[in-house]
Amino acid sequence: MAATPRIEMKEITKSFGRIQSLRGVNLELYSGEVLGLVGDNGAGKSTLMKVLSGVHLPDGGSMKFEGQPIRLHSPKEAKNYQIETIFQDLALCDTLDVASNLFLGREPLRLFNRLIDKKKMHLSAQQELDRLGVTIPSTYATVENLSGGQRQSVAIARAVINNPKVLIMDEPTAALGVKEVRMVLELIKKVKQSGVSVILITHRLRDLFEVCDRITVLYEGRIIDNRPITDFTMETLVESITAEKEAVH
Amino acid sequence: MIEAKGKMTSVSKKPATTIKQNKAVPQWIANNKQIIGIFAVLVILSLFFSVFSNSFATTGNMLNMLQQLAANLIVCVFMTLVITTSGIDLSVGSILSLASALIAVLIKAGLGSFEAFLIVLIVGAIVGLINGVVISYLSIPPFIVTLASMIYIQGLALLITGGYSIGIDGSAWLNAIGQGRVLNIPVSAIIAIVVVVVGWGVLTQTRFGTYVIGIGSNEESVRRSGVNIKKIKMLTYMFSGMAASFAGIVLATRLGSGSSNVGTGFEMAVIAAVVLGGTSLFGGIGTMLGSVFGVFLIGVIDNGLTLMNVSPYIIQIIQGSVLLLAVIVNTHVFSGKSLKRR
Repeated sequence: MAATPRIEMKEITKSFGRIQSLRGVNLELYSGEVLGLVGDNGAGKSTLMKVLSGVHLPDGGSMKFEGQPIRLHSPKEAKNYQIETIFQDLALCDTLDVASNLFLGREPLRLFNRLIDKKKMHLSAQQELDRLGVTIPSTYATVENLSGGQRQSVAIARAVINNPKVLIMDEPTAALGVKEVRMVLELIKKVKQSGVSVILITHRLRDLFEVCDRITVLYEGRIIDNRPITDFTMETLVESITAEKEAVH
Repeated sequence: MIEAKGKMTSVSKKPATTIKQNKAVPQWIANNKQIIGIFAVLVILSLFFSVFSNSFATTGNMLNMLQQLAANLIVCVFMTLVITTSGIDLSVGSILSLASALIAVLIKAGLGSFEAFLIVLIVGAIVGLINGVVISYLSIPPFIVTLASMIYIQGLALLITGGYSIGIDGSAWLNAIGQGRVLNIPVSAIIAIVVVVVGWGVLTQTRFGTYVIGIGSNEESVRRSGVNIKKIKMLTYMFSGMAASFAGIVLATRLGSGSSNVGTGFEMAVIAAVVLGGTSLFGGIGTMLGSVFGVFLIGVIDNGLTLMNVSPYIIQIIQGSVLLLAVIVNTHVFSGKSLKRR
């Protein structure tokens, strides 16, 4: 992985009032890599990801996207760089059907661009889901009638349709059953194979060993550990997160 | 990984038995239980009135009813959009009064029918626009905003008429909006039907409609998809104001006079109809056909009982009770949807 990293964050700082959430974070992300971002509650994981997805502007530090310096002022700007984020629960409209959710904001149109081309939309939705190996009873089903795992899969598929280069997932497997977690993890592997860089935030450490290439540990706004997954065992990972042992940087 | 895949399909196959695969008709029934329910009630009531009143099931009565309900139908289409975004518009009754009064006042002041017609529509749109801007861009709850405009618009209507009815001496085409008939079908009813069909198309076939439902369901999700949700919400109130003022013209030209109190209670009749039809006050679920049936249900009860010489006071008691009953049935019997989501 000697190539230019897809994302390079240098000395990122961010404070909220008196609370210093990020105290100089360096993070690199390569193409086709799944990076596990872990840390205790309040370690700054979510803040860091909000900086990367354009929700927060950092106080200090710099960011590079494929070698080019960037500054993200809004989520829309992040989207322009094909940085997509999947949030825990804000992803879908329950009362719309699967296809409408997948294509929300970019529905295919017909009749002088006045009407939604529903046929085309459902067809493309089905193709997209098939490509990702997501099995859903029907693209006409409303999202509220789906299981938790299916909903999360639709949310991921929706992000993937945009052909993202970076996909940020915040707790995608929280509140899912065992089999549903499997479904989502398989989906992450599929997404990775297509060259997407994935950042995975999760409290389920077992999931990390399943899909991640590398683990970065945040502790009180700093990165205290950053190694390939093969260097970790469950025990050393827990030690690192709880910062019981001063880790190698 | 292959083993995992096998598990994956077995997981997702389970729900497939509960949700029918692409079968349009059963899916439609499952999604529209409420509409079918209210339609059934409508049919039963109509049969009841046909038996107990000689004049109910006559072409004349039906066409009259259609003419009387035209204003409600036109406004209910846009109220459905507003409520589906999880909003509400209480100002439509006052806007209707203002429009009815204003068209009479303008024509009396010597303006041509067409100019007066345009001005009234624009005034309605502006009032709706003010509602919409305050609601979406200043983030004030729609209930309060439209309650306030309900009050000040009513005041404005009273101010320009001094509280009196004013006769309308407009051109033939203007009077035809309220009184005209084509092949014995009221012009106002034809307009209402066109508005309903267009409204249905907008809600179910366009991006605008999808976003209206999406905003009611999960505003944040729609916003993050890059949709200008503030603009969408603002537009629903603007359309609603414009529709209410058009309905005011329909009513004024039907009665041949403009009055500042013709819209009293109108907003409640429309909101009741929309809710009866199965549109969720929490937003995210909206149905044009249901709203139309809702308008007809309230209209049929009114018309049928009046023909049976029932006191108008008792009619009101019955209409209110039907609404309460219908809402209870909708929430607890037909689907746990709205309960589950909140």
